[in-house]
Formats: sequence, structure tokens, C-alpha cells
Amino acid sequence: MERQTETPLIVLLIDSKPERAKIVEDGLRGAAVVRQAPALHGAELLAVVERLQPDAIIIDCDSPDRDTIENLQLVARKNPKPIVMFVENGDGALAREAVRAGVSAYIVDGLSERRVLPVLEIAIERFRMFDALWKDLERSKRDLEARKVIERAKGLLMQKRGLSENDAYAAMRTMAMNQGKTIKDVADNILAVASLFDD
Amino acid sequence: MKPEISNLTIGFVPLTDAAPLVVAQEKGFFEKYGLHVCLSRENSWSQIRDKLAAGAIDAAHMLAPMAPASWLANAYAAEKFVTAVAFNLNGNAVTVSEKLYQEMVAADPDAMFERPTSARALKAVIAERLRKGRETVTVGAVFPFSSHNYALRYWLGAEGVNPDRDVRMVVAPPPFMVDQLDRGKVDMFCVGEPWNTLAEHRGLGRAIVRSADIWRHMPEKALGVRQRWAEDNPDTHIALVSSLLEALIWLDERANRMEAAYLLASERYVGLPAALLAPALVGKGALRTRRSIVEAEDFLIFHHYAANYPWRSHALWFLSQMARWGQIEAPANFLAIADGAYRPDIYRIAAARLGVAAPLCDAKTEGAPDRAWVLTEATAPIAMSASAFIDGGVFDPAAVGPYIEGFIRHNLRIDPSQVYAGA
Repeated sequence: MERQTETPLIVLLIDSKPERAKIVEDGLRGAAVVRQAPALHGAELLAVVERLQPDAIIIDCDSPDRDTIENLQLVARKNPKPIVMFVENGDGALAREAVRAGVSAYIVDGLSERRVLPVLEIAIERFRMFDALWKDLERSKRDLEARKVIERAKGLLMQKRGLSENDAYAAMRTMAMNQGKTIKDVADNILAVASLFDD
Repeated sequence: MKPEISNLTIGFVPLTDAAPLVVAQEKGFFEKYGLHVCLSRENSWSQIRDKLAAGAIDAAHMLAPMAPASWLANAYAAEKFVTAVAFNLNGNAVTVSEKLYQEMVAADPDAMFERPTSARALKAVIAERLRKGRETVTVGAVFPFSSHNYALRYWLGAEGVNPDRDVRMVVAPPPFMVDQLDRGKVDMFCVGEPWNTLAEHRGLGRAIVRSADIWRHMPEKALGVRQRWAEDNPDTHIALVSSLLEALIWLDERANRMEAAYLLASERYVGLPAALLAPALVGKGALRTRRSIVEAEDFLIFHHYAANYPWRSHALWFLSQMARWGQIEAPANFLAIADGAYRPDIYRIAAARLGVAAPLCDAKTEGAPDRAWVLTEATAPIAMSASAFIDGGVFDPAAVGPYIEGFIRHNLRIDPSQVYAGA
């Protein structure tokens, strides 16, 4: 049964990563009213669903609470009946995308696809965006870490072997090429060996 | 026979009965059949279903009813799943909080000392609570389409308790269940091991009845794959079934069970101490009173009694319970679903290659006989045991409709005479 009045969609967002929840919430602003469930499980989570009566529930794929949400339609007939979005979608492409991005969605029985799809698409995009941001952050952390290690190893070579900065770096690069390793690995080795003798 | 694809990702949920996958991986049975497997730990059955449907995993540790359920219009699976090998019979238990246990003993002491323990005392507690205007009992189950759900409902229904009205049923994932019991959010639950053992170990509750008491041979987990995947990769599928069958035979040896407990204990798998995993594996299970009429070795069956055979009568029984409890909303052809979702033909090919005896019939009467027997309609005779239901019911797979109608408690949403009709 399609709703006649265009009241805003109420979306319940269940995600254990607060940073991501924020990104999803920002993305859905204007498209839906977003409510978040803090870390609740089982009966407590059901109570929140009962109170909020959301039109859609968007949840982290990895959340164990998904099984709790799944049971709503079978035990509590007065509650909204969530349907995994995937059924509505013939070729399953959206489902695959959602699973890959790590998002699952449940919608109230009978809510029109026209209204829910954009919300879900935004959610998928936002989950992905978070994933990309996270990976970028991890990569820059790693880069920074590598640079620190290389600097320390270089300093050590300069000090112990009396090499210039350029020569010390060139020596590490040669070692890396000969051993088929990254300069970071070589630097790690130099520091590890040095620590043996320092003690 | 070379498998079409050799690199596989298989999903599992951290439970004792993920053991066949863990053993096949750690003891090299997958490699023996040319399979390189990556085991992927998943947090929920919904996750297993969706990842499998979307192709993010090739195969999965699955609740046995999930395969036939995936063929129903309202089961929310985007793909149809099939199973050609079952992992185990039994292995679950119903645990009640210490407080509820005392209430039950006070309400009907005789009922509590009967073996197997019925829901009669619980019914008295519920009636008492409702009379006094208090909340009814909150019951935790793990997934709508699970043997746990049907076992629990069967046990309640056998005493005339309506699980959709007289108690409050909630679903929580197995690893949260003990915590929910501790915090008083559920009064009782039905869950697989090691979670009943953990509840007893922490002194929070008592396992009062095992799934094996409710149905002596309740099918539990199975290997699930997409129907289309099975069609595209028949030799890979047979290799997978064969390697798991070897793991299951290995697990059936009680001498190997402690080793299995240590393998499962790893952080990569269940991540609990082997001491908590061992009781269910060595056959004791979680039953504090230790007075069950079910012999200890029947607590968890990995191979004997033709435990790995995908009996179509099991699929039909699950469908009968789905219909009974209103999970089937439109007429469906139960026989077509059972034939499609359960594939004894594939099992027989794998069993023949291994030289393991396999049944030659696809279905059997469930719940009878009530004594040990020998299955002769097989490639070699197979010793079978009694398979009684707690209420003495008998399930004839050729008469599903009358069986469903015969229950005193049901919440049917389809006409039981229509179970062989429909799309």
C-alpha cells in the first residue's frame, strides 16, 4: 500500500562506527529523518524499533543485530514489517552493491520503491565513501610511519658509517633493490639490528 | 575429477558445529580434493544469506531450514540455495535463567522432574505471571528460519503454549544470548553450543531440555551453496561435499573431539577456551542435572545414523513448521521445494567415491520407529536409532497437510490442503 501523504521517511541507522554513522546521517539529510540506535541488542533494540516505527532500517552488514531485525516481521505483527530490500530488486545488482559496500536495509512492507531507493543509494554511496576515507587515512598513517623509520635508519647510517645523507639513502635503496624489499623493510632491519648492539 | 574452480571462500558463524569446515581446513581435507579454501567468519545468519546470495562467498555453514526457506517468496533471499551435505543432528538446548528455573520448580515440581522436561511448568509460570498482571516470559531464539526456532516452538506448542501470543519471542545472535540472560533481557533461550555451557558455567541459567529431547534426531546445520553455482560447478561441489564428508567422519571419532575443541578455540574460529567447547563435543552437552533420557553420545551427531544425508523428509518437516507458524504466506509446492533445495543425488555421488554407505531412498517417516533399526534401502545397511518427537508425533512426508492440521497450536496463514500446489 503506497502512502498518499509525503511525510518524511524515518530511517533508523544501526552502525557501531560513529564516524560512519555521521557520514551516512549527513548524506541522508533532506532525504529522510535519521534516528540512530546506540549499542542496543535483542529486546532493547526491538523496543527502540517499536517506539520509532521507522519506515526503513539501515544497518551495517556485519552487525550481529541483523538477525534481531529479521525476526520483526515474523513475531511482532504490530511492528513495521521489514523486508530485505533485495527481494524488490529483480537482478540483484543493487543487493550485490550493498553487500560489497557493507550496508543492509530493511523497509516497511508496502513502502514504495520510488521513495526508498534514493535513500538506500545514498546510504551505499556514503558507506563506500567512509570506506575510502578510512583506507586513505590508513595509507597516510602507514606512509608517515614508513617515513619516520626511514629517517631514523638513515640517521643511524650517517652516524655509524660517517655517510652523507644522500649516500645513506642510496645505500638503503641499493640494499632494498638487491634484496627485493621495500626501503621501509630495509630500514626496519637496520633499526632492529642496531637495537641488538645497543643493548 | 578436477574441480572447475579451486579457490573458494566459505562463510561460517562461530559455533561448535562450524567444526566440519574448521577440521576440513586444518586437517587438509580441502587440499586433498584440490580446493584452496578461505574461511570467512560472519556475525549473523542474515549476513551468511546475503553474502552467499550476492556471491561474496561461494558456500556457507547454514541453518538447515535456510535452504528450503530460500525457495519461498517471502524468505528474503535473492537466490535459491541448495544443500547436498548436512553437518550434524542435534546440538542445541533450551536454557532458562536461574530465577525462571526456581519459578518453574515452584509452579509444577513434578513436571520439572519428568524426562524429557516438558513446557508444562513453564505454562503454569506464564499463566501465573499474566494473572498477576506481570510481563510474560521473554524467549530468545537465534533466527526465524532455524531449527532452534522450530524446536522451541514445537516444545511450547506440545503443551498448548502459543509462541506468538503467550510468550514474547525475540531474536538475538548466539554470542549475545548469555549476556542478554545475565541482564534479564531474556528469561530463557534456545541456542547451539557452546552458549548453553557458558550460561551454566557462569551460573546464570540451566539447560533444561536439549533439542535432541524435542526431536531425537533434529537436523541442524548444513553446507549451503547457490543453486546456480551448483549447476555451474558440479565437480567443485562434489569435491567440497567429499572433503566435508571426510571431515565429518573424522569428527565422528570421539577420540578426535578434544583435538577439534582445540582447533575451534582459535581466535580465527570460535575464540573461546577449549574447556568450554569440549563438553558439547565430547557428548556431555550442557545439562546440569545430567538426567536426560538421551544418551550422552547423541547430544551432537556428526556422521553416524546417516546424519549427513540431506533427507528430503527433513526439508518437508521444516516446511511444515514454517507453514504451522505462519512463515509461509502464499501457497507453495512443498515437494518441488524439497526436491530442489535438498540434493541427496549429489551426496550419493560423493559418498560412492569415498566408499561410504549412502541411503537410496530420498525420504523417510520421521518420529518413528521408537527403537533402533537398520536402514537396508542403502548402498550398505546403515544403523539408525529412534527418532521420536517429544509429543510422540509421527511425520509422514507424503501427508504434510494433515500433519500440519493435527497440531493443537498453530498460526497458519495458508490452507494446509494446498501444500502440494502453488508455484
